[in-house]
Amino acid sequence: MLYLIVLLPLIGSLFPALLRRASPTAMAWSAALPVIAALSVLAAQSPAVLAGTVVRADWPWLPAAGLTLALRIDGLSWLFGMMVLVIGLLVQLYARYYMQDDRELGRLYALLSLFMASMLGLVLSGNLLLLVVFWEATSLVSFLLIGFKTADPAARAGARTALAVTAGGGLALFAGVLLLGRIVGSYDLDQVLAAGDLVRAHAWYRPTLVLVLLGAFTKSAQFPFHFWLPRAMSAPTPVSAYLHSATMVKAGIFLLARLYPTLSGTSEWLAIVSTVGMLTLLVGAYSAMWQHDLKGLLAYSTISHLGLITLLLGFSSPMAVVAAVFHVVNHATFKASLFMAAGIIDHEVGTRDMRVLNGLWKQMPWTGALAIIAASAMAGVPLLNGFLSKEMFFAEALASQTLGIRWIEPLAAVVAGALGVGYSLRFIMEVFFNADDTPLPQTPHEPPAFMRLPGGALAIACLAVGIAPSLLVTRQLLPAVGAVLQAPAPTFDLGIWHGVNLPLVMSVLALVGGVALYRVREAAYAWHDRLPTVDGLRIFDAIFAAITRTAVHATQALENGSLQRYVRWLLLAALVAGVAPWLNSAWMANAWSTVRDTGVVWPAEMPDAASTAVWLLLVAGTLWTVTSRHAPLTAVVAISTVGLLVSLAFARLAAPDLALTQLLVELVTILLLLVAVKHLAPAAATLESRSPRVRDALIAGVIGGVSGLLAWVLLERPRVPSVSDFYALASLPQGHGRNMVNVILVDFRGFDTLGEVAVLTMAALGVLIALDQSRPPVSDSSAPATQPAQTDPFAEQSPVLLRMIARALLPLAALMTVFVLLRGHDLPGGGFAAGMLTAVMLVVQALAGEAGALRPAGFDLRRVMMGGLMIALATGAASVLFGLPFLTSGYRSITLPLIGSIALPSAMAFDLGVYLAVVGATVVIVQRLGHYGAAPHDAPETSQ
Amino acid sequence: MIATSFSVGVLSSLAPTPIHQAFARDLLVLPVLLPLAAACLSLLTSSILWRRILMLGTTLLLVALSGWLLPMADLGQVLVYRLGNWPVPVAIVLSLDRLAALLLLLTAIVATGSAWAALRGDDQHGPHFHAALLLLIAGVNGAFLTGDLFNLFVSFELLLIASYGLLVFGGTPARVRSGVQYAVLNLVGSSIFLVGIGMLYSVTGTLNLAELSQRVALLDAPSAAFARSGALLLLVVFALKAALVPFSFWLPAAYSAASPPVAALFAILTKVGVYAIVRMSTMVVGTDAAHRANLYGEWLWPMAVATVAFGALAAIGTRSVRRLQSALLIVSVGTMLASMAHGSEEGLSAGLFYLVHSTIAAAAMFLIAGLSEQRDAPRRWTSVLFFVGALSVAGLPPLSGFLGKVLMLQAFPADSRLPVMWTVVLGSSLLAVIALSRRGAALFWGAADAPETSTLTRAREQRRPVPRALLSRVPPTALLLVLAAVTIGAGALSDFTQRTAQQLLAPSQLRSQILDAPGGR
Amino acid sequence: MNLLLASAIAVLIGSGAYLVLRARLFTVLLGLMLVGYGVNLFLLAMGRVRVLVPPIITDAGGPYADPLPQALVLTAIVIGFGMTAFLLALAVRSRSVFGSDHVDGLADSTDSASASDSAAAPPVLVARHAAS
Repeated sequence: MLYLIVLLPLIGSLFPALLRRASPTAMAWSAALPVIAALSVLAAQSPAVLAGTVVRADWPWLPAAGLTLALRIDGLSWLFGMMVLVIGLLVQLYARYYMQDDRELGRLYALLSLFMASMLGLVLSGNLLLLVVFWEATSLVSFLLIGFKTADPAARAGARTALAVTAGGGLALFAGVLLLGRIVGSYDLDQVLAAGDLVRAHAWYRPTLVLVLLGAFTKSAQFPFHFWLPRAMSAPTPVSAYLHSATMVKAGIFLLARLYPTLSGTSEWLAIVSTVGMLTLLVGAYSAMWQHDLKGLLAYSTISHLGLITLLLGFSSPMAVVAAVFHVVNHATFKASLFMAAGIIDHEVGTRDMRVLNGLWKQMPWTGALAIIAASAMAGVPLLNGFLSKEMFFAEALASQTLGIRWIEPLAAVVAGALGVGYSLRFIMEVFFNADDTPLPQTPHEPPAFMRLPGGALAIACLAVGIAPSLLVTRQLLPAVGAVLQAPAPTFDLGIWHGVNLPLVMSVLALVGGVALYRVREAAYAWHDRLPTVDGLRIFDAIFAAITRTAVHATQALENGSLQRYVRWLLLAALVAGVAPWLNSAWMANAWSTVRDTGVVWPAEMPDAASTAVWLLLVAGTLWTVTSRHAPLTAVVAISTVGLLVSLAFARLAAPDLALTQLLVELVTILLLLVAVKHLAPAAATLESRSPRVRDALIAGVIGGVSGLLAWVLLERPRVPSVSDFYALASLPQGHGRNMVNVILVDFRGFDTLGEVAVLTMAALGVLIALDQSRPPVSDSSAPATQPAQTDPFAEQSPVLLRMIARALLPLAALMTVFVLLRGHDLPGGGFAAGMLTAVMLVVQALAGEAGALRPAGFDLRRVMMGGLMIALATGAASVLFGLPFLTSGYRSITLPLIGSIALPSAMAFDLGVYLAVVGATVVIVQRLGHYGAAPHDAPETSQ
Repeated sequence: MIATSFSVGVLSSLAPTPIHQAFARDLLVLPVLLPLAAACLSLLTSSILWRRILMLGTTLLLVALSGWLLPMADLGQVLVYRLGNWPVPVAIVLSLDRLAALLLLLTAIVATGSAWAALRGDDQHGPHFHAALLLLIAGVNGAFLTGDLFNLFVSFELLLIASYGLLVFGGTPARVRSGVQYAVLNLVGSSIFLVGIGMLYSVTGTLNLAELSQRVALLDAPSAAFARSGALLLLVVFALKAALVPFSFWLPAAYSAASPPVAALFAILTKVGVYAIVRMSTMVVGTDAAHRANLYGEWLWPMAVATVAFGALAAIGTRSVRRLQSALLIVSVGTMLASMAHGSEEGLSAGLFYLVHSTIAAAAMFLIAGLSEQRDAPRRWTSVLFFVGALSVAGLPPLSGFLGKVLMLQAFPADSRLPVMWTVVLGSSLLAVIALSRRGAALFWGAADAPETSTLTRAREQRRPVPRALLSRVPPTALLLVLAAVTIGAGALSDFTQRTAQQLLAPSQLRSQILDAPGGR
Repeated sequence: MNLLLASAIAVLIGSGAYLVLRARLFTVLLGLMLVGYGVNLFLLAMGRVRVLVPPIITDAGGPYADPLPQALVLTAIVIGFGMTAFLLALAVRSRSVFGSDHVDGLADSTDSASASDSAAAPPVLVARHAAS
């Protein structure tokens, strides 16, 4: 039930957004009806709440975090909720006329309702985390509202400033709430309010207090965070009337009041809150005096009044709380009314500059009258509500001992009062009277009655409350005060006349001073203009710009786009990772003992000649590659020798399969390099000098050394029992193959092989993608010099002899392929080797001028490769049909004529798939690279 | 709360029984096989329509499948699939625990969004987009499912080579440049990966993660040092995938150059790195292997914090909305790992919660960024999407990102690291808000400054066709709706991640459940 | 024998790492291949060294070289081949796009504005000269 109060406006925000073409009136109703409904729901709770009971509704949301959707209505939240809803309604009515010829009216209504929902959630939430949620929500929606006139740079700047300040404060509040939660052990408001002593005694009290206050002060535009509020005045007037007088800026005050029982009463609270409050009070009032923009004046006066309320809460005496709550309501009423008046004037006259405005009383007496009432309330003239709360404020200022010095608060109060009277007078006189002959942008006339109605209603309220306070508001104030104090509210009398006492004298002083100040305003302006202006806004912007600058520089310094640097860091990190575990404790000893007990010694017998020879050649070839890197062709020859030597090494290390595969892979790789080299001819400038060779050599040397060292030590360590022992036992009886490596590849670890074939096929596709010429790269045209040669390397005529040999070799190679493929299961060979062999063969054919060899009958080799993959998949899946896991290899022995009975594991079929995939992928890669730069239609992917 | 009870209801309505579970176990290989097969088929057909149907159909199928597997895994018993029907330490096993199930589902969702978004024309620059995307998914799912170290390597290679292809797809200079850097870095990474595997194998004689963790715990001092070296080398590789500082600088260039759907899909790739780190740190160098308790944690913490800091700076320091989103992706990864680094159950659970949120949010935001650059796209709806997306990536209320941050900040123990953690997380949020509001205002509030022009040029560069509203606006909207669901069902999700964390932090049970899997010849 | 193998690994990986740190893509490719050889040998070495006893079951039975690392290396070789081929293709493309085979696609100014259109676009080049 209670949730409706928040949900209705939320839902209500949809209608205006949906019916954007509707008439303003329809839109207004669609927005207003849900609000009226919500208001009635809240009103239904009034009797209970005003009787002092606390109405709750709970719903778990994120139990793990103690975050519940808890609504909790006590006097305070009731008062604020009412304020939000009632003033919200009036603002909606006002906006209907203020923006009736604006096609963005729907957006305004939607956002206003959205804001209303989040504001209600804020004041009604019974869980501190939930409160934070709505808190940030208000900041975000207000960002959109302030920036409503998106075309106006000022609006954008204002919106972003407001967001940065309030959202930042919100995060501080978030941290503070988390701390509170840790101290109290719950975010539930009832428990937090009850745990005051615990919190105040806790070691984290100070950080908690500071963080929470940061949140409150930023939101309520307290000094020194006040500067965002004037900048936010570029919002449409209804928004200012709603957010910046009645609701959002009151959120901070609300928070102070809400957590008053938990946080207040300590010296820190008194010191911080009342100091900030007093400074804000003075700064606001002072700055308001010099504004020429109506809304600017109102904004600063709002700041000053918020400071006043904060100061009252800082006093932390029961009566001060009464005054604070009372003034919240009063300020909301007269300030909202004044904003509306300012809006009307702006709307009718077309300017808000008080230096231009004059003598409007003649044309718009009604508006004038209402504005005068509200302004007098602001000034604290008797018989108006502002007067009452200001009296109470004076009384409290006299009573308080907060800052030690007895007279300072009363003095501040009077000064601020006088300034308040001053700028209120300016508002009245310079707009409606002081007629001079300054031309007005438009000839004004009274707005439609309905546009005056909202402001009027509020002004009347000021008057009514001012005259019969105890009749009208006491009953509503008492429970709120009780909620703030978490104690029965003090008995107070909101009488108008308390006899002649000090507060009255102060009021008179303030009035007189204000009038005097207004009299001498010209001189005062002159004096003020001579002062150096200190603008918080400019400081903020400066800080902002500085942050951005450092961020840009830092980003560019780190993310500088240099691959060499990224790789260097990666290698160094790997080095650290490899070495770190050895450095932990007395590592010398550790290492030495490692060497000793692992028996690392110089090899007893010298290695045999063959191995030594391979080793020497390998080292030589490697160094040759390094040195010849600038001569691509030489480098290719060099690295291919290295590759061949590596395959020799494999053979020597009892790994015939590796030797074979390495050999064939090497052949294909050389082919690729040779084909690609012409595209990779070094650019005019070889760009090596950039990276200091010595340092890199050092890094590389250390890395090589460490990896070699690790390998050595490991090699000397005894072999541990390994899963391989199983293969030795199971390969023949269960895998039906003698060649363990092949059995592992196609059976034990067939899944790896599958994935690896997939990698190879994807690599082929990647080559096709990378060299896709269906759309030439953008800047090819800009660098015509680098156009790849438009020749097909396979097209050139090659020596007759080579062609004849190639032809002769063809059947032999084919036969050999079959042989390698079939025997693979028992002897070195298998799908990869065979596939590579076929590929090499085809490529040789092509080089020999058989142009078609790479695309026999022009069909698409990608199909071979994918078909191979499919076969492999299907073989694996076949076992599933027999209820066995994927890739379970079956086995049957068949009898062929002549050859006799041979074992035929299904793994063979798998290997066949692998074979096809390898052939397809390899040939696709080779021929695509070979044809790169040739006419696009050569590209196989365009063959379809 | 309705949603909670609702989702609970859904879970219970499926009422997973042992029979279901056995069936589920038999399907474990499908998340890898389906995309593989679909990829093959997609190359055998020549009509883009069929390829698109295959791609989108497969991703949707995967959503359904993994959505069905999740409750099975949630029974607490690890599902083990022995490929080739060999006994466990020998066979490559696929194992599905809560974590794997969660990430499978996440992958499927993101992949669907990306695939759908690609239909608007990003897949038309050549015939191989669909196959590449499917192979990438196969690789990712394989990485999440496999219980074998070398098979993890193979899966990584598959998803990497596929990602290279997707990144340079379309071949704009920006993509080629960043593609080269991305590929070279990861090729170096692969070599490091192999060395690490080798060292671990040489001292333990096994590749099965479960058995590996058992043996690692029993090693003598020098062998243990080797194992630690190997494990740390793997950490380097995984950190490279997860884009942790100092390995995160390649990411903004690459992700901002890729086409929006690809970038959205890549949002999951960093999570593969995170997953691998979590898996290794809980299972292999796990907290219960006494003499190397939380080996990764002490290295992870500083890296994670630095990552958040760098990401936040990069977010402020850029004028391009895509780079901004890339930076925020880095921030999110750093944040979740900072929360996980501590090795506490709550921290792990909170990190996983945030992982789910931030991945979807990032994917959505990459798509939205793509929309926002199209001057002819409908602005109003796009701007709404951008606003909501910005909230979610910045982790602001009311979306689940905020809840994730609440969980992470709460879970963090009150030790000396606490202030650092809170400052970093909240500070990065603030910077994110500032940066996003700036970009948003510049993009949608008609301040024609630098990004506009540059994005214009890029749009021209890519010759994107005008997107049809359905294709271009639905996917991000759908992803944001998923986020909304996550937000409402946050209670259920956080309970699930809690259970996940418990399961992960009791590795001995995981181990025995995998090693004692019945069967074998 | 062990020492030979270990030192060979050291030389291969060391030189490879050096080449990978160079600025030209072709050189980097060579480096990656060298590192690949070294890593493959390293992986093979992890099964310890046994000469003359290939893992092919003979009726004599008896100790064989560890087949598992061999299988892994074989997989690694093929994968490495695929990767090399792709990078080669990418290098060719990059060369034809940027007119140089610098790893960062330098010597192309028209594009970098839109390529990395952060504020870091032109400064990237500057920063690099300063950085390394």
